Amino acid sequence: MGNCCSDVSGGMSAVDGTSASTATGNQNDAVDWYFKSRGIYAPFSQIELSFSATNLRDRDVFSKSDPMLVVCIKERDGAITEVFRTEVVLNSLNPKWIRKYTITYHFEVIQTLLFHVFDVDTQFHNVEVKMLKLEEQQSLGEASCALSEIVTKRNRSLTLDLVCREEYVTSTHSQHCGKLTVHAEEIFSSKTTVEMTLKCLDLESKDLFSKSDPFLVISKLVESGISIPVCKTEVLKNDLNPTWKPVFLNIQQVGSKDSPLVIECFNFNSNGKHDLIGKVQKSLVDLEKLHSGREGEHLFLPTVGHDYQNKILKGRLFVEKFSENVQHTFLDYLAGGFELNFMVAIDFTASNGNPRLPDSLHYIDPSGRPNSYQKAIYEVGEILQFYDADKRFPAWGFGARPIDGPVSHCFNLNGSSNYCEVEGIRGIMMAYTSALFNVSLAGPTLFGHVINRAALIASQSLANDAKKYFVLLIITDGVVTDLQETKDALVKASDLPLSILIVGVGGADFKEMEILDADKGERLESSTGRVASRDIVQFVPFRDVQSGEISIVQAVLAELPTQFLTYMRSRDIKPST
Amino acid sequence: METKSRTLEITVLSGEDLRIDNKSVKKNAYVIVSIDTFSYKATKIDAEGGSSPSWNDKLVMDMPMQTRFITLQVKCKVSGGDKTVGYARIPVTDFIGGYSPETCLQFLSYRLRDPKGLKNGIINVSVRVKEPIQACSSQAAAAGLGLGIPIDGRKDFGVVTGIPIWSGYTYPSNSLFR
Repeated sequence: MGNCCSDVSGGMSAVDGTSASTATGNQNDAVDWYFKSRGIYAPFSQIELSFSATNLRDRDVFSKSDPMLVVCIKERDGAITEVFRTEVVLNSLNPKWIRKYTITYHFEVIQTLLFHVFDVDTQFHNVEVKMLKLEEQQSLGEASCALSEIVTKRNRSLTLDLVCREEYVTSTHSQHCGKLTVHAEEIFSSKTTVEMTLKCLDLESKDLFSKSDPFLVISKLVESGISIPVCKTEVLKNDLNPTWKPVFLNIQQVGSKDSPLVIECFNFNSNGKHDLIGKVQKSLVDLEKLHSGREGEHLFLPTVGHDYQNKILKGRLFVEKFSENVQHTFLDYLAGGFELNFMVAIDFTASNGNPRLPDSLHYIDPSGRPNSYQKAIYEVGEILQFYDADKRFPAWGFGARPIDGPVSHCFNLNGSSNYCEVEGIRGIMMAYTSALFNVSLAGPTLFGHVINRAALIASQSLANDAKKYFVLLIITDGVVTDLQETKDALVKASDLPLSILIVGVGGADFKEMEILDADKGERLESSTGRVASRDIVQFVPFRDVQSGEISIVQAVLAELPTQFLTYMRSRDIKPST
Repeated sequence: METKSRTLEITVLSGEDLRIDNKSVKKNAYVIVSIDTFSYKATKIDAEGGSSPSWNDKLVMDMPMQTRFITLQVKCKVSGGDKTVGYARIPVTDFIGGYSPETCLQFLSYRLRDPKGLKNGIINVSVRVKEPIQACSSQAAAAGLGLGIPIDGRKDFGVVTGIPIWSGYTYPSNSLFR
């Protein structure tokens, strides 16, 4: 039936040149589903790790060591899998390995990498690296780190001390065996997108009783002379002077700005046999010149004849608009010094139960088993902590009566009346356990005060022009008592660099809380008629994880880089100063 | 020392779910932004947008110091004339003395109410004030402190309160639009 899509309207719509397709990197639904079902959430970035070491120990007698690096990944349950080996560098104590390891960066999980440097014995020097048995080599040292530690460094390089574990080492012998430097580069960083508005004048009428229905197909020319279509515009009916909707092209899609492109103008026919009205051959650079010179380029029709002359047509192609935009990635912002600051607020209302009794949600088990609150703090905090430079986290409690005081809906977890911050995740845990026995649980459950405090901190940072984005984790066991108060606070805070993650623990019915998450309902409205300008809340009920699964909290965390990027892009804030 | 009026850049971005006489608006919606009855500007007409038009029209207006509200009026050009779709009032305190510094670009959204007072869609704008207020600290206004309260024992944020420009100014209660 021809070379068009499944139906006429499908055949008339634009393919692949729209802004939506560049945002998702041109992945289609099938690919998206494939990755999602394996727990990989787009947008994800590919990172290339390169390695070098200094001051390695000298193990060989007559020459220097011949080092090789092996990289392993440690899973959540402790299993260790080898994933990569570099080549062997001969005779060097300061090797720079050439082979690089490509790993996919996942924001929402801790990717623990283990590094092990080996000295490859001379007898194995002609063996393929992957055939080498590690037990037969000598260890020169080990190190480990999380991938997030590397990408949050300004220059994306992390230097680790190599540590040796040996049987015969004496107690005075130094354990350090040199240093390993790991450097990360994002593959396909900063995508440059070109936005063009194309129009034509004086096209020929190809239809008998009406004007043409033109559309454009943009293709790239590869070396062998074949043209590969990159995108097509929508079909405009009955128009000899058409202006199509803007076309978005990733420069990577076409190769480079100088790559030759063929733009063909066809007349749409519902039987699928579209007539070629005319074409031009231009690169993106040429199109940019057409735009700035406000000139039109005549279309031509290739003629078959022995002189191979092209028939120049009256119709012309114009470039109405031409703009280049760089789309920075999340890792670009991290490299530019941007941070994610973690804040936590814990529900101390009486509905949790007496903390001294084992059935309370706040029960601290002497055997060390974490309760739901502790688990939620770990799951979110251990990932976000890497993105916070000073590791000082504001921590609050709400819904309780501190010693001899009235009920507070926002008290500092550390018990101080001056500052609210604690040091590290461990600091949060210590402040939490000590607060449990220093306050009396009360009620009602109100989030407004805590949200306002967090918003104030975000607003002060904004006034100081700091490059911080704040993430507030609220852990609660119950439904909010005053939903309107919460909505008012959220609407006021919706324009700030702030995301709020509400985790519900215990068995309560959290149906009402889902109203706060605009994904599941409408935009939030305050009592004064103001509407939230962004959806800053995500609500998720906490469930225990079966081994191997991604926890639902992590799935929600995966959305954070997108929320961060949307905030930055809408305000045109760029990563570099 | 203080300027008599400030420059307000308001970009009317888009509207959502606009209806007239219980039917979705088809086309030709536009917005009138007024500082007071005499000082107002209109955006371009969106001929195709339908019930969710987008204007992206930046209007620059002078805003005198005593201004308390900016009024947005969404209208629609129909064959009989211009019909009002709805109103929204933006209290100036929503973008001055709020969480964001006023010279920062702020995105605000408001519920529109039609002449009968019923809900009729949402309007999205972005605002920026050109000149910063010298003597007022945004944190103080956000904390809701009134005039004349001395801050000696510092509160947790360690912020100094300036003197608000409008004396006797309290947060306006928007009771008309409850």
